[in-house]
Amino acid sequence: MRITPTACIVLLFGATAAHDAAAQSAAAAPGRIEASGGGSWIGRTSTGAADADETTPSNGSLRIFSTSSDLAAAPSFDVRVGVRVTRALAVEAETAYSRPELRVAISGDIESAAATTAVERIQQYLIGGGVVWYLPAPRWPRLAPFVSGGGGYLRQLHEQALLVQTGRYFQIGGGVAYLLASRPDGRLKATGVRVDARAVVRRDGVAFDGGSHAAPAVGASFFVRF
Amino acid sequence: MTRRLSIAVLAALLVAPADSAFAYLKFGVPVNGRQVALKWAQTPIRYFVTNVSVPGVTADDFQAAVARAFASWHGVTTASISYQLGGATNAVPGRDDGLSTLGFVSRPDLDRVLASTSFLVDTATGALVESDIFFNAAFPWSVASGGEANRFDLESIALHEIGHFSGLGHSALGETELRAGGGRTVLAAEAVMFPIAFAPGSTAGRRLKADDVAGISDLYPAADSTRTTGTLSGRVTKNGTGVFGAHVVAFDPATGSMVASFTLNTNGQFSIGGLSPGPRVVRVEPIDDADIDSFFDSTRQVDIDFRVAFVDRVVIVPRGGDSGEIAIAVVPK
Repeated sequence: MRITPTACIVLLFGATAAHDAAAQSAAAAPGRIEASGGGSWIGRTSTGAADADETTPSNGSLRIFSTSSDLAAAPSFDVRVGVRVTRALAVEAETAYSRPELRVAISGDIESAAATTAVERIQQYLIGGGVVWYLPAPRWPRLAPFVSGGGGYLRQLHEQALLVQTGRYFQIGGGVAYLLASRPDGRLKATGVRVDARAVVRRDGVAFDGGSHAAPAVGASFFVRF
Repeated sequence: MTRRLSIAVLAALLVAPADSAFAYLKFGVPVNGRQVALKWAQTPIRYFVTNVSVPGVTADDFQAAVARAFASWHGVTTASISYQLGGATNAVPGRDDGLSTLGFVSRPDLDRVLASTSFLVDTATGALVESDIFFNAAFPWSVASGGEANRFDLESIALHEIGHFSGLGHSALGETELRAGGGRTVLAAEAVMFPIAFAPGSTAGRRLKADDVAGISDLYPAADSTRTTGTLSGRVTKNGTGVFGAHVVAFDPATGSMVASFTLNTNGQFSIGGLSPGPRVVRVEPIDDADIDSFFDSTRQVDIDFRVAFVDRVVIVPRGGDSGEIAIAVVPK
């Protein structure tokens, strides 16, 4: 095919416009690496209930006291590194650190002991990964809504690191990424912020019932794209 | 040199607790001016059974019920203790004859004693040399699998006595109420080693509880159990002074199990060993569900004038280590 000079100009102009749009879009080209750091707030979650029972002569039970426990809401520090697989899909590795309180509420004592809440502050690490699926938002090129999901390894240390309890976590949610600045020709291609809301399900770890417990979480982070 | 110690199940325990006792009470014997835990130096421990029968229980029934009780203790995987039947004997329990003998003896004069364990101890080392158990034939007994009304379950009582036979003292994990005519009725217990038996007809005492398992594991730890279990220790005070004889209960919210011990010196210190690692809720109470002399020498001043209290922090039992000292302040009633 032959291209006339006029057509050639139009094509070049079109290519430049497309390049600028890509550079100023929250969506990124495949292969781009994105690193982010920020914080989350992870809500309270139950960690199970248990009763202290003694055995009666008829093999029944007599309650001495009851307990119910939870992991309190706490802020979390998050770090992520991701890579774009396609313009819409990224895979990420992440780690998060928080120090929630493990609280055990004690009540109903058979000898009328005062109700008490026993408390301990634990250290919690989430180490895992996930996928982020960016959705098109043609009217706001700097804005990229996304849905995400993932999971990984849960590591919870009791006070003074006397004991480590491990488990798994899963999370699913969504949010938006907003492009603050872009430098198509620079080593640092873009910067932006990302906010999200998700459900975090922790399994095992300090959960006394060994079950899965969900908690809401919201987070915000600053990202840079290379 | 040997010396016989007597331990009556429903009457007083005339032994001093070992100062270094871990899970609830281990028997202590004085050796060279210090208390050491009473235990067998070697296993398997050979025992003999008498051929005495009583109404409802033949000699064969007796041997089988006792064997099941021994098997329960032997089956504790975190303990290394084992037993071996030596055979039938005409020996009488309670005699210093070199045989550890179990059998019925009629003692109508001991009208509150279902069974009793006695020891022959090497006072130079604190090691058990012989231990005998007599079951009081003055009471009605049963070996029926589901229990029998108005008869005491032989296997349940044997399980308790074999705990003593092995070197364990009493546990205070139980609730009782006073009877109008004297004595106590057991409402519930969470240790086979609770000093008062369930009512006749009950078979609820045939299964070892967490407290029993911790006790025998502490006394005879399996090869790797000191690495896989942990200890919870601390001090109970009242008005700044140590409390002697406070009952300290460690509750595991993950399993619902309880293991307990006592403060065993005037500083109010306690230690509970043989615990699986994990968080615990700790409760402190005075001894008020059995006679104090079921646990301690009657010459000891046991403090029961304080309110039940919980520790306001979650206490962590580490794997192969100690929780670090937990300070518990209680207040007078």
